[in-house]
Amino acid sequence: MRRNPLTLVIGLLLIVIFGLLLFTFQVRTTEVAVVTTFGKPTRPITEPNLYFKWPWPIQKVWTFDRRVQNFEDRLSEGLTPDGFALLTSVYVGWKVSDPTAFFPRFAGSADPIAAAEARLDQWLDTAKKAVVGKHALADFLSTSDNGAAFLGIEKEILSAIQSQIQTNNLGLQVEFLGLKRLQLPESVSQSVFDRMTSERKRLAERFQSEGEAEAQRIRADAERRAAETLADAESKATQIKGTGVAEAAKSLAVFQQNPELASFLFRLNALEGALKERSTLIFDQHTSPFNLFGAGSTNLLNK
Amino acid sequence: MNDHPHSHDEPPAPALPPETPVDAGSQALAEALRSSFAIVKVVMVLLVLLFLASGFFTVGPQERAILLRFGRPVGEGEKALLLPGLHWSLPYPIDESIKVSISGLQQVNSTVGWYAVTPEQMLAGIEPLAGPTLNPIVDGYALTADANIIHTKGTLVYRIKEPIRYVFGFVNASNAAQNALDNALLYSASHFKVDDILTRDIAGFQEEVRRRVTQAVEKQDLGIWVEQCAVQSVRPRQLKDAFDQVSTAEQERGKLLNGARTYENQVTNKASADANSLISLAQSERVRHVSDMAAQAEKFLKILPQYRDYPELFKQQSLTETLSRVLTNVQDKIFLAESPDGKPKELRLLLNREVQKPKPEEAKP
Repeated sequence: MRRNPLTLVIGLLLIVIFGLLLFTFQVRTTEVAVVTTFGKPTRPITEPNLYFKWPWPIQKVWTFDRRVQNFEDRLSEGLTPDGFALLTSVYVGWKVSDPTAFFPRFAGSADPIAAAEARLDQWLDTAKKAVVGKHALADFLSTSDNGAAFLGIEKEILSAIQSQIQTNNLGLQVEFLGLKRLQLPESVSQSVFDRMTSERKRLAERFQSEGEAEAQRIRADAERRAAETLADAESKATQIKGTGVAEAAKSLAVFQQNPELASFLFRLNALEGALKERSTLIFDQHTSPFNLFGAGSTNLLNK
Repeated sequence: MNDHPHSHDEPPAPALPPETPVDAGSQALAEALRSSFAIVKVVMVLLVLLFLASGFFTVGPQERAILLRFGRPVGEGEKALLLPGLHWSLPYPIDESIKVSISGLQQVNSTVGWYAVTPEQMLAGIEPLAGPTLNPIVDGYALTADANIIHTKGTLVYRIKEPIRYVFGFVNASNAAQNALDNALLYSASHFKVDDILTRDIAGFQEEVRRRVTQAVEKQDLGIWVEQCAVQSVRPRQLKDAFDQVSTAEQERGKLLNGARTYENQVTNKASADANSLISLAQSERVRHVSDMAAQAEKFLKILPQYRDYPELFKQQSLTETLSRVLTNVQDKIFLAESPDGKPKELRLLLNREVQKPKPEEAKP
C-alpha cells in the first residue's frame, strides 16, 4: 500500500503540535514562573519566552502575575508626638519580583496575591504607627517647606516596609507608596469645626474693621491732598498777583512827576469805584457839592 | 491517489488480482477499514485547518489588540497596537493576541477627599444632609496646611503614551492613576492654606495638584500623558454660614473701599479744578492790574500839562464831575443838615431791608 505524502505531513504536524503543547510552555511578559520538579522549585523564570519542560507529573509550572499590583491598606490610627490622633491610609504599588522566594510562601494559598497583601497590610500598619509617632502634625501640614516633610514621611514608610520585606525574603518588591487618606477621628472633627468657625468669625471681623479703616484712610488722604493742592494754588496765585503788582509799580515813575495830582486822581478813582453799586450816602452841608445848601453858598446865590 | 479497487475491479481482473479477496467477509472488513481511515484523514485535515484558523481574530471598533510572540509583545509603543479589523496570528503557543480597550482619552476621578454621596444624589445634584461631625470611614476630606478641613475632588484626563507598559506593567493602571491623583490632592492640600485653596489661589492649587500627579505618574512609569487635571474644592457643609459671613464681609469691605475711592476721585478732582481756577483768576487779575496802571499812567501824562496850568480849577472841576457821576449811581442819598446848636444829629437807619444778592455797600466820603 503506497503511503500518501500529505497524510504523512499532516500526521507529523499533529504530533508536533501535541508535543509542543505537552513539552513547552509560554511565559508572558506579564508573568513570572517557577518550574517545580516533583514538587520542588527548580527553575525560576522572569523573562518572557517559550520554554521547555517535562510533562506532568514530572515537572509543573507555576505562574504568577508580575504586573504592579495596587494595594490600599485600611485606615488606621497613629498618635503624633504632639498628641494628635491621625488616621492614615496608604496605597502601595508592589509586584512579585523573585518567584523562587515567593513560591514557597504563598503558592499554597488559594489566592497568592491576596495572601501577600495580607502580610503587607500587617507590616504597613506597624510601619505607619511608627512613622506617625515620630512626626508632629506640623510635619504633615505645613506651608513653609512646600510639602517636603510630607514626602519625607511617605519615604520613611516606604523604606520601613521595604526593609521588612527584605529581611523576610518574600520575593516581593514595593515600587511606590503614597498617602491616600489623612484624617482625624470623628470626635476631633467637631473641635476642628469649632476652631474653624471662630477663625472665620475673626476673619470676617478683620475684613470689616480693615475695610472701615482703609476707607477712612483713603478719605483722609484725599482730603489732605486736596487741601495741599488748594494751598499750593493759593500761594501760586499770590505769587502771580505779586508779580503783577511789581510790574505795575514800574508805572509809578510816571506818577512821580507830580505826586499831588497822582494822589488826587487815585482818590477820585477810588471814590468812583467804591460807589459803583447799590449804596447809601449820607451828606452834611460841608460836602461838595452839597455845601451849596450851606450858608456861605447861599450868599453866593443871593449875589 | 486512489488504490481503491472496489469500483473498478472488473476490467483489470484478469491481468493482476494481487490481493483479491478470498472471501466476502474479509473483503467487507478491508472495505470498512479503508473508509474509516479516510474519515480519520479528513478529520486530521480539518484539525490542522482549525488549528491554523484559530489564529484569526477580529478587533472591535472601540478596542485595540496587542500580539504576543513567545510571550513578548510584538512592536513598540503605538505600533504595537493592532487597529480594528480582522487579524491573523500564529496559533498558541507561538502567538497570542490580547485585546485591550485603551483607545482615546481615559479619565479617573478622585473622591477620597469628598463627603459621602450616593450616585443617585450626585445625579440629582442633591447635597446629602451634613451631620455635626465627619465620620472618617465614609466622609472623605483633606487637611490643609493651617489644619483646617476641606472637601476636594479631582478629575484626571490622560492619554496612553506607552500601551505596552500601561497594559502589561500594571494589574489596573487606571487604579494606579487614580491613587496618584488621590495622593496629589492630599499632598497639595497639606501645604496650602484653606483660603488659598477655596478662594485666593484656586488656580495655584490646581496647578500644584497637576504638577504632583504628573510627577507621580512619571515616577511610577504608568506610560501615560496627563492631558487635563481639574480640581474642585469646597468648605465643609457644616461651616457654610461661617464661610458665607467671611465672604459677605469681604464684599462689604470691597464696597467700602470703592466708595472711599470714588470720594477720593471727587475730592481731588474738585481740588485741582479749584486750584486751576484760582491760578487763572490770579493771572487775569495780574494782567488787569498791570494794564490798569498803565492806562492810569497814560491818562496822568495827558492831563498833567492841564493841571500844571490851572491846578485848583482842574481839581474842582474833576471832583465835581466825578461826584455827579457817582451820585447818579447811588441808590439812597440822605442829606443831613447841621443842627443849629452845632451838636451832631442822631440818625437811625435800618439797612438791608431786603436780602440783596449783590453785596450792599456802605460808603462815606
